[in-house]
Amino acid sequence: MFDDRSPIYRQIADRIKADVLSGALKADEQVMSTNQYASYYRINPATAAKAFQQLVDEQVLYKKRGIGMFVSTRARDMLREQGRETFFGEVVDPMVAEARAIGIPLAEVIRRIEQHENNGGV
Amino acid sequence: MRVEVQGLTVRYGDVTAIDDMSFSLSGNKIYGLLGRNGSGKTSLMSALAGYRRPSGSVQLDGVPVFENAAAMRQVCLVRHSADAADKGDKVSYVLEYGAAWRDTWDNDYALELVDLFKIGLKTKVGELSLGQRSALGVVIGLASRSPLTMLDESHLGMDTPTRYAFYDTLLNDFMAHPRTIIISTHLIEELSSLLEEVVIIDGGRLVLQEEADVLRSRGTEVTGNASDVDEFTVGMTVLGEKSLGRTKAAMVYGALDDEQLVRARQLGLELGPIALQDLFVHLTEPVGGKR
Amino acid sequence: MKIFRHLALTLTAFCAMVAGGSFVFAVALTFVVSAFRDVEISAWNIVASQVGPWFLLFIGVYAIHNVLPIAVAHGRTRREFLVAASAFSVVLALVMTAVEWLGFLVEGGIYSLMGWGADERATQFAYLLMYLVWFTVGMLCAAAFDRFGGGGIFVLPVALALVVATRVQVPGSGNLPFVTSLPYLLGAGWYVALAVSFGVALAGTWAIAREMPIRVRA
Repeated sequence: MFDDRSPIYRQIADRIKADVLSGALKADEQVMSTNQYASYYRINPATAAKAFQQLVDEQVLYKKRGIGMFVSTRARDMLREQGRETFFGEVVDPMVAEARAIGIPLAEVIRRIEQHENNGGV
Repeated sequence: MRVEVQGLTVRYGDVTAIDDMSFSLSGNKIYGLLGRNGSGKTSLMSALAGYRRPSGSVQLDGVPVFENAAAMRQVCLVRHSADAADKGDKVSYVLEYGAAWRDTWDNDYALELVDLFKIGLKTKVGELSLGQRSALGVVIGLASRSPLTMLDESHLGMDTPTRYAFYDTLLNDFMAHPRTIIISTHLIEELSSLLEEVVIIDGGRLVLQEEADVLRSRGTEVTGNASDVDEFTVGMTVLGEKSLGRTKAAMVYGALDDEQLVRARQLGLELGPIALQDLFVHLTEPVGGKR
Repeated sequence: MKIFRHLALTLTAFCAMVAGGSFVFAVALTFVVSAFRDVEISAWNIVASQVGPWFLLFIGVYAIHNVLPIAVAHGRTRREFLVAASAFSVVLALVMTAVEWLGFLVEGGIYSLMGWGADERATQFAYLLMYLVWFTVGMLCAAAFDRFGGGGIFVLPVALALVVATRVQVPGSGNLPFVTSLPYLLGAGWYVALAVSFGVALAGTWAIAREMPIRVRA
């Protein structure tokens, strides 16, 4: 389930962030417990706890004592903002490089993007 | 359960299986004991479980374990096909020993597991397949609910679905009843996500003891132009190298600092993670690799 | 106490069952033999004085070779096991002697009913000591072979010396060529010699098994 290479807790944290961004996890919604996560992904509970701790530190999640972990109200906005900052560097630039390498004119790439725009979404 | 090993040596005649080993485990975690065949895993665990008199010291929660009734009560070691299962006995009789002699034994759980692994209660241990015998070992190990539970190569002969059932059971029981669990295995890839801490031994000596996730972040594969890779890896611990034409990949051990990351980008080198299993192979390699 | 209870409940029951089965077999065989010739010896005495000791030796081997590793694997010390096994040796020998006595009683009834003749037999005390020594010698041999491997062979002369004495005073258990007159020379001191044999076998077992490593099962 995991590639056993980069630290697993970071992969878990990334997955939860992706769920928050996509709206699968909503603001103030409770996330599964450490043990449920550990059991579901077949990972050590301490690893899952480490991922949760990272997300609490980053203010994506907050802790309610004795109840569990919840998605912060501002989590989605915050992650979107962070995503916007890195989007061009991490997604667009490599895409342009890839298009150049395989010989697709940038005009064609732009036309494709405009098609998405006209169809009203992704 | 805290485990402290100090200057442990195990010898069989002229062969030294464990050579002056020292380490300690803080406890209540799942530990992976990794080592090649003949590296001393079974000898080490046998000394931890009081199966043999240690030369050096082995202490559990601060007291020596060998022939110490109070400490022995807390330990369960299952080596390969179950020490507590006599070949001539029926499975049901094997479980009776656990119920009779272990204060912490959970018989309902034992029966539940026997059912899960599809082991016939009326079957004699000698008639079980290797995989079933290993599974019976897992039943004994987990149903013992010992504060220190050790499973030595418990996956032997298990097919893939059984192994996954074993991992799930182990994990869920550990979460329900947290305790110190030490597992030795060759199937590092499969098991590594369950481990919190890893102890690697080789040739009877301790190679390293580290949190599994930290260890995972320690190894980096540096790929690029051979001369650039060579320049970049000067002074680093290189575990292994391989070349393809002018391209070279080097496995380096140790965290990279920001300066090194920038330098790698300047040289156009690709940095990738290394799987725990590959790290293990290179850390225990007797020839070719540097420690 | 837990180890003793389990040994006493399971192994004693098993041994008594085997003895019971042997009795039925011996009586049946006697009836078969009686069809062809006169019955002049006690069949049960052959079981009690020849088969019995070997069976107890086997149980002694089983206790150390098979059960001791299980006890240690279940978190018991060798010392706890040896205490239990020592107490168990006395209980088992007593039970087997009682079974032997009961066998003679029932067999005697059948013999007088059928008008058959039986040979001499030993005192209850001789049987008891014989069983006790054979069981502990079984434990001693198993401990020696488990601990020293092939080197365990050196315990065999000792074992032989310990058991040889036990059978001299039990009729029907085979005659010894050299020491037949020994029991008569020693008189009641003979029983003391047997008790000493028991003590030596038990002490030897303790000394060897006390710190014995638990080997990986093949």
